[in-house]
Amino acid sequence: MHRTGSRGFYFFLIFFVLFALFLYGPMFSIILLSFQGPNGGLTFPMNGFSFHWFGELWKGAGVVDIGSAFRRSLLLGFVVMILTVVLSVAAGLAFRKQFRGAELLFLMTIASLIVPSIVLSLGVALEFRLLDETIKWFGGRFEIEKINYEFQTTLGMFTSGMGTQLTWTLPFGLLIMFAVFNRFDKSYEEAARDLGATQWQTIREVVLPIIAPSIVGIGLFGFTLSYDELARSSQVMGATNTLPLELRGLTTTVTTPIIYALGTITTLFSFVVIGTFFLIFWLLSRSRSKVLR
Amino acid sequence: MTKISRYFVPKFSWLALPFAAVFFLFFVIPLFLTIIVSFWDYNDYSIIPDLIFENYVYIFEGCFQFDADLCMTFKTYLSTLYFCLLTWGLTLFVGFFVAYFLAFYVKTIPIQIVLFLICTIPFWTSNVIRMVSWIPLLGRHGLINDTLIFLGIIDAPVEWFLYSEFSVILALVHLYTLFMIVPIFNSMIRIDKSIIEGAYDAGASEIQILTNIIIPLCKPGIVIGSIFVVTVVMGDFVTIGIMGGQQLASIGKIINTEMNYLQLPGAAANAVILLFITIIIIITMTKFIDIRKEL
Amino acid sequence: MGNKFSRRDTLKFGLGATLGATTALYAPAVLSSDAPVIRYLGTAVNMGDEIEKKLFEDTGIKVQYISKTTDEVTKSVLTQPNSFDIVDSEYFSLPKLVPSGNILGMDTTRIKEWDNVTSIFTKGMTPSGKKVGLQGTAPSKVMYLTGATSGKFADEATQYATLIPTVYNADTLGIRPDLIDAPVTSWADLMRPEFKGKAATLNIPSIGIMDAAMVVEAMGEYTYPDKGNMTKAEIDLTMKIFTEAKKAGHFRAFWSDFNESVNLMASGEVVIQSMWSPAITAVKAQGKPCVYQPLKEGYRAWAAGFALPKTTKGKQADVVYEFINWYLSGWVGAYLNRQGYYSAVLSTAKEYMSENEWGFWMEGKPAAEDILSPSGAKLGSVGEVRDGGSYEDRMGGVACWNATMDENKYMVRKWNEMVAA
Repeated sequence: MHRTGSRGFYFFLIFFVLFALFLYGPMFSIILLSFQGPNGGLTFPMNGFSFHWFGELWKGAGVVDIGSAFRRSLLLGFVVMILTVVLSVAAGLAFRKQFRGAELLFLMTIASLIVPSIVLSLGVALEFRLLDETIKWFGGRFEIEKINYEFQTTLGMFTSGMGTQLTWTLPFGLLIMFAVFNRFDKSYEEAARDLGATQWQTIREVVLPIIAPSIVGIGLFGFTLSYDELARSSQVMGATNTLPLELRGLTTTVTTPIIYALGTITTLFSFVVIGTFFLIFWLLSRSRSKVLR
Repeated sequence: MTKISRYFVPKFSWLALPFAAVFFLFFVIPLFLTIIVSFWDYNDYSIIPDLIFENYVYIFEGCFQFDADLCMTFKTYLSTLYFCLLTWGLTLFVGFFVAYFLAFYVKTIPIQIVLFLICTIPFWTSNVIRMVSWIPLLGRHGLINDTLIFLGIIDAPVEWFLYSEFSVILALVHLYTLFMIVPIFNSMIRIDKSIIEGAYDAGASEIQILTNIIIPLCKPGIVIGSIFVVTVVMGDFVTIGIMGGQQLASIGKIINTEMNYLQLPGAAANAVILLFITIIIIITMTKFIDIRKEL
Repeated sequence: MGNKFSRRDTLKFGLGATLGATTALYAPAVLSSDAPVIRYLGTAVNMGDEIEKKLFEDTGIKVQYISKTTDEVTKSVLTQPNSFDIVDSEYFSLPKLVPSGNILGMDTTRIKEWDNVTSIFTKGMTPSGKKVGLQGTAPSKVMYLTGATSGKFADEATQYATLIPTVYNADTLGIRPDLIDAPVTSWADLMRPEFKGKAATLNIPSIGIMDAAMVVEAMGEYTYPDKGNMTKAEIDLTMKIFTEAKKAGHFRAFWSDFNESVNLMASGEVVIQSMWSPAITAVKAQGKPCVYQPLKEGYRAWAAGFALPKTTKGKQADVVYEFINWYLSGWVGAYLNRQGYYSAVLSTAKEYMSENEWGFWMEGKPAAEDILSPSGAKLGSVGEVRDGGSYEDRMGGVACWNATMDENKYMVRKWNEMVAA
């Protein structure tokens, strides 16, 4: 449609590049400052040049265990990502037709974005505390050994923590699904049905492939939002801390560029993973197009 | 809806059940508890079941004496709305044109995805770290000030780069433009390309196409993006706090301070009011465009 | 660090660490029977992995840190007492924590070194008998409970302590001497016009207002009967002075985190501000001169200690007491002292510090050789003297303690008003 060679293209390309530069703005100071000498701090001017802080990071990050917090956050992020994609695509399909309670569910979704995260976090913590008390009462009342001796709390990363993060990622997922199904060309489905496809076949073979790029987008959003979530998670993770929570705790003591080294490594790692992913994708699509030809 | 009903759209309302269940468990119940607690009494260490309206009265204390200065609550809401409005305008402008570039100038899906990922990667470095890194970038002796001085553009460091309204808005736009791009982009790629081709062939300019076809057709995406931005900025306290040197007011910050001092009923009451005001804003927005129309 | 001390049980340590690392991740603490694990809630200030390693070497106990900010620690104790086995809290939170019934009185008969805990906690005076200022929530005022589960503070010593003290210090203003011309001697200097746009204070209202009160008193505006427990009128007066300064752009920023205070100072955004001792150390470690300036009006002090939630019982409680006893047995004390904090049991910490270190940190003597931080960074050269001098001078010069006021609600509101002004 719009020709790539046109003046407009270059204008918008520059616009995009400037925007990307703006997004990477803080990354410049992070990357530069992570290469400081052993006496480096978190601000300019730079104190020498070395790979010291990467070495420190490799050794185990000093005060708190960043490695395992990172793995925990990554795992939680992936689980939340998958659930966000599955649940919001499912709900998106449901919302294509009016159903009872649709308005209410929609309002609830929006409200969930609005309620200040810290308040919701505490609400969930209170809810789970009530649940704990109930279980304990139950254990005491019926003398269930397992509860009386071993039960501590229902709060946890994959119970309250995950649920609370979903109230943050799902509204985004659903609203993006709205944008997707909005003006969705129904004639493809019509055609599929005319050819005798069942409802499920239509969804699987027609609808899902069409919305696939948007699904990737929702997944990306879901992961990013979960991975970086702080306020909502603050009261509901129980005895485990996610990476942002751990870092937040860390900033109460650590003032060395080790956290910048972490940022640099994360960025580098992301580029490598994505680069590899696309190389594979490109190779696959090349061989596929050969077959098709 | 009547226009669509001649099409076949399967009814899968039960598919919304798991979604609804998550919200029931992790949103409705906690919200319900919050609303109940907003009517409770409290002291330094505990909340006391009660039915009082004092928490609400306390928030609006001194707000209706029109001869005096504006009360804290109104001032704070004004400040929050100000940040919200500016951030909304800027993210909309930037987000729209970035989405426009991605949707209409970038041809293949893989490249679109690559560009999206490029925009996402900075967000995989924790916000806790990124917030710290604004100081060396914008500070008195930061990268930008030093560069400008080196180039001879300024003589003395610019103070308002950091801990000012400017830095707050900058950080908010930085954080939330992506929230605007994604829904607008998704609206744009659903636009039937033949309409645009047709307009081109009929001799329409790019600007005409933009204003007469593309903007009207991606209004739902714009509204959805606006909902994201408005809601998150209304509740923000981290960004406004850190980038404003904790000297600029936002309602989220008040709630946060109250929570830190365990004044839960007070915080809950403030949250209920914030929820109420933001819902009014959102309803007004969706009054103009029904984002679920033509689903 | 750590190399200095004997590495016994290396084999056990290596084996146990692997086991611990794999089980501690997701398994609830008490379920892993191999090594006892305790879930330790507190601020990251006291959570060193050196401590963790040394603890495991010495006792076979594994800790799982849950690090949060001061306010969040308090919140967690009140809202989710199930989520930890031991909490490291500040004394000024006690008026909130104790009446909630969520923490237990600590049985002092089970603490080996209890009789050697510094008299600042037990009697409100320095070891040599100098009276310490008791305005605010002074630890000696909230040290004891009338019973293990009573929820009431006792006026005299009992068997049950609220917190077993771990770490404390006397805070004052930090300055960048290289960026300041005239000497700083008083809290009132924070408001000197030349520091416009280059001063900072805390964003933690309950501590910030104490600093403000020190300033107001130093300016000669008002003398408080008790800075730690102001009346509404006193709060109004204090906040009015700060609000005007804030509106005039006197403050560059308010900081909430330790790390923010260091960055503000190291980057030169701020040249004078309220600071914590290790923050000074951190700025110095970056090669920037920074002084923890003693002021004629005295210090604002704080203290922290251990408590058990009511849910920690039986065998788990035994492990926690063992941990506390180990904590007070000296190694950690030395570790804390080397960061510029003070340890609760001075006699045991002394055994783990060199004569030079003890002289520099505790006795106000000039360093005979270079002073190193626990991580090995150089903090002081030969001949240097600690800012503020000896333990006696610094702790004896305490004017007030971090506090929870009766008019807390009003104070928080006034603070919010200042931010909105």
